[in-house]
Amino acid sequence: MKKTVFKIFFTFTFCLFCLVNSIVAQQDVQKTDSSVASNPVVDTILQNRVAALEKQVAVEKKGESHFMVVGLATMGFMYNKSVTTINGIGTTTKTSSFPDIDRFEISPMMLWRHGKKLLFEFEPSWNGTSFGVNWGDVSYFVKPGFIVRGGYIVLPFGIYNKRLAAGWINKLASDPVGIADYPPSSDYGVEITGGLPLGNMKWSYDVSLTNGMQLLNDGTMQSSGIVDNNINKTLTGRISILPFSNSCLELGVSGLYGGIGDANSNYKNAKSNMYALDFNFVKTVSKILLNVKAQYNYINVTNENYVNPTDTNSTYSFNNKTTSFFGQLSMRATSAPGVLKNFELASRYVNYTTPVNSIWGAITDEYDIGIDYWFTWRSVLKVVYESQKITGTTPISLGGYLSNSTQNNRIVIQYSVQF
Amino acid sequence: MKAINILLFKRLIKVGFSFFLLSILFNTGCVESRKIASKSGVQLWAENCQRCHNTPSPSSFSASQWETIGMHMQSRALLTENEKNKIIDFLQSSGR
Repeated sequence: MKKTVFKIFFTFTFCLFCLVNSIVAQQDVQKTDSSVASNPVVDTILQNRVAALEKQVAVEKKGESHFMVVGLATMGFMYNKSVTTINGIGTTTKTSSFPDIDRFEISPMMLWRHGKKLLFEFEPSWNGTSFGVNWGDVSYFVKPGFIVRGGYIVLPFGIYNKRLAAGWINKLASDPVGIADYPPSSDYGVEITGGLPLGNMKWSYDVSLTNGMQLLNDGTMQSSGIVDNNINKTLTGRISILPFSNSCLELGVSGLYGGIGDANSNYKNAKSNMYALDFNFVKTVSKILLNVKAQYNYINVTNENYVNPTDTNSTYSFNNKTTSFFGQLSMRATSAPGVLKNFELASRYVNYTTPVNSIWGAITDEYDIGIDYWFTWRSVLKVVYESQKITGTTPISLGGYLSNSTQNNRIVIQYSVQF
Repeated sequence: MKAINILLFKRLIKVGFSFFLLSILFNTGCVESRKIASKSGVQLWAENCQRCHNTPSPSSFSASQWETIGMHMQSRALLTENEKNKIIDFLQSSGR
């Protein structure tokens, strides 16, 4: 009996407490409403302002995902005078083209980020005659200094292909022959990479495992449009160090090793090993921004026997070694008055030597000099003079000549922009 | 056969030792000095961006775009995590 009374009393008290609280809360709301009613103008202004701020925050609020398109466009005009001399007899050819079809490029790069760990990159490219893909990969930022990437990746060989090939970055109009296109710049595979501090210095590593190239019947290598029909893979890696605390100097060493033989051909055991050294120095000295870049590539392929194109019943062989080098210097007076600070003077020397006694044997020497005008940090007009001499070294037994050389003199006017 | 085994063993030792050294370097040697740690975002922006191209104007992209570009640039230029974060913070705050 006592328990029942207690329960009834407790329940009644609890309900009364809730009722009183509700009444009090309603009275507070009524007071607020009445205060609003008494100052409608001030509160409306505040409410409108809060609403506008909330809208602005919603627009600028960072989400998990973000998609954007950046890219580049390069186009121009080229005039070329070519003098080919074979066994002492010269032939002169003059050509000109809009929009400089050998250097035309439109490449929109798509970047999609999910959070702070995942990045998708895809860059298709139109070069005036065909569509291609420069790279298409996914990167996962595992931890500081450790990125894992997979897909169609740019090989970590040297510095030019990964960082300097874009038209709005290249100080001159053309890519250095033998550097940008041989070995290939992209391949299918996986990669680990990262940059790490080292006291006052920095160092970086970049290692990839990819399908690899394929040896052709003339000793050259092909990278795109091939079917990987062997179990060989290609290992490519680069290590670099920036020894100064202001990052003005970077020294890199690269290596590549892999099987390149088509499993169904006579070259199934062919191997290739390559090395590269790269140098990058950028610093303002006496109010002049000095920019020095260089790269040396050495490519070696195992000696194989190839069918003689002039006599298919015989074979030939040669030391399949290729070297390529470029060194460039550019200067810009960044403190000069007016538009003078927008001009940059650039020069480059290129040497590309392909195997003597091969069908494609030649020595190429090229000197480029140009002047750039920077409209903005990513928009440039270049006027460049290129002098290139190619001396053939194919032996007569393979269809070569006693003497064979081509002298190309070009003027290139090129505009390139990042968008 | 014995000679091949010895050669293989030597190669394994070399590879293992190299991996061991790299692991030590990776895990213990990769710290930045106070001088480097004290650098500001604007200083790192001026020193690192110009290694490849002209220094970008902060107003060229929005804050979200800089976040995405920062990841792309970190993987291309192989910036350290500290460098990337400070440069992006500077670009995001200066672009407003």
